[in-house]
Amino acid sequence: MTKKIFDEKVKILQNVKVNQKYYKLAFASPLLAQKAVPGQFLQIKIGEGNDPYLRRPFSYYRTSGNKVEILYEILGRGTRMLSEKKAGETLKVMGPLGKGFTLTPKGKKRVLVAGGVGVPPLVFLAERHAAAYLLIGTKSKAEVMPKSELKNAKAKILYSTEDGSYGVKGRVTALLEKILKKEDPGKIFIQTCGPKKMMEAVIAIARKYGIDGEASWDENMACGVGACLGCMVETRSGRMRACADGPVFPFKELVIP
Amino acid sequence: MKVDLTTRIKGLTFKNPITVASGTFGTTDEYGRYVDYKKLGAIITKTITVKPREGNPMPRICETTAGMLNAIGLQNKGLEDFIIHKIPYFKKIGTPLIVSVAGETVQEFAELARVFEKHRDVVSALEVNLSCPNVEAGGVNFMKKQERILEAIKAVRQRTSLTVFAKLSPELGDVLEIAGKVLGEGADGISVTNTLRGMAVDIDSRRSKLAKDFGGLSGPAIKPVALRYVYQVKKEFKVPVIASGGISDVDDALEFLIVGADLLAVGTANFVEPRATLEILEGIKRFCAKQGIKKLDELRGSYRPCGDSKKGCHR
Repeated sequence: MTKKIFDEKVKILQNVKVNQKYYKLAFASPLLAQKAVPGQFLQIKIGEGNDPYLRRPFSYYRTSGNKVEILYEILGRGTRMLSEKKAGETLKVMGPLGKGFTLTPKGKKRVLVAGGVGVPPLVFLAERHAAAYLLIGTKSKAEVMPKSELKNAKAKILYSTEDGSYGVKGRVTALLEKILKKEDPGKIFIQTCGPKKMMEAVIAIARKYGIDGEASWDENMACGVGACLGCMVETRSGRMRACADGPVFPFKELVIP
Repeated sequence: MKVDLTTRIKGLTFKNPITVASGTFGTTDEYGRYVDYKKLGAIITKTITVKPREGNPMPRICETTAGMLNAIGLQNKGLEDFIIHKIPYFKKIGTPLIVSVAGETVQEFAELARVFEKHRDVVSALEVNLSCPNVEAGGVNFMKKQERILEAIKAVRQRTSLTVFAKLSPELGDVLEIAGKVLGEGADGISVTNTLRGMAVDIDSRRSKLAKDFGGLSGPAIKPVALRYVYQVKKEFKVPVIASGGISDVDDALEFLIVGADLLAVGTANFVEPRATLEILEGIKRFCAKQGIKKLDELRGSYRPCGDSKKGCHR
């Protein structure tokens, strides 16, 4: 079955800073909202001119009714321009793109491991489907999401910060190991999104305990629809396209260098 | 008003001049959900090589001012896969198919031509990619030597009577000089321009933003350069030209038509606007209707050069 992809001109409802690092942008679009699955993404054209030229991929942070939210960090010119957009301005947005997370991992307990900008799709997942834990690792308190943003996440939320300014000091993988020691690994399913180094460490731990899971793998993208072959991911079945075959891949498929 | 957009090149007839630049439209039906392929004048495939190619490591893509660098490295499943799995698809579509081919050796160029010659029922022309900037063994570095390019074209010409376009870029040296030489070896037309080699540096890590030092620059940033080459090649040799290089909207397309382009290959714009080809096509129709142009050939090549007049262009 071919999934429907829509290309919509949307009006920004809200574009606000939620903490020292992240911005939240909301718009209304029934077509982009209603069929989206956590882990899928949108391609947003920022500005109407030729610079920046390419669209930028953003994972879904949340949908409710016809409303779509994304959460982003200023990482370059494009996202800076996006942060300057006001409610009422328009954007061209294409989606829902890619393959999202598995929603029903056969009765297993989910442990969601999020790092940095990998937080939004896992919050979305935890809001849609209860998880045992949502582990959130960030560099410092500056990136910790306000409680109001996490109030609908159906999971026990634990934090780690690298500098110890919030939650447990250290990396999120230490939190994960602590949980796995308490739980029956056979009943756990891990879903992760975050910086590659973090996901690699999560996958290494999962392998050590013999746990299945999924990672949302990200590469620089141009087209977002499987045509340009810019965002290939090494898998056991060869190189796959993060945008069209992923971005979510099973741990057992991923070949970690 | 109905506008006749028919584009004729050496016995080939295209219902309109709009096509897609090699490598920017997927391998088969990736854009099928956005674009009715039957509405395009022609389809140019991603470059096919004899053997499958894995391409380069990531990152392969990096955005730059008004454009992007890519170092895909001609990833494709190879000739055999194309013949078995892709040709039937394009046969069904029926839109003229221009197959982009590249060999690592002269023998491979010959082999590609020999095989596609047998598929004349589906393939209208070959675009010989002599200028991919991302291939160490078989691309520009190897091809830098003009003799090898000329041998490749010669080998292709000997093995096929399909229309042959040579795809060039300034990476190869002086575009006009090389165009003249490949035409001398029997190429029917020129496709210009491929990407221009560029680089982008991450100032923190001091490494390339790509997994290679260089990538091919495409998008609006290269359009003025591409336009100039199309104009010059057309003026100098009066041969069929496939124009590519930053064609993003209808105004870009019209500029290329005015300087004489036969086919207009929309490239990186597909990544931004999946329907860019059809939007440009509709825009051309609107422009012609508004200007009272009944046949596209009235517009094509209608550029008014500055000449040597001391008064300049605008007097």
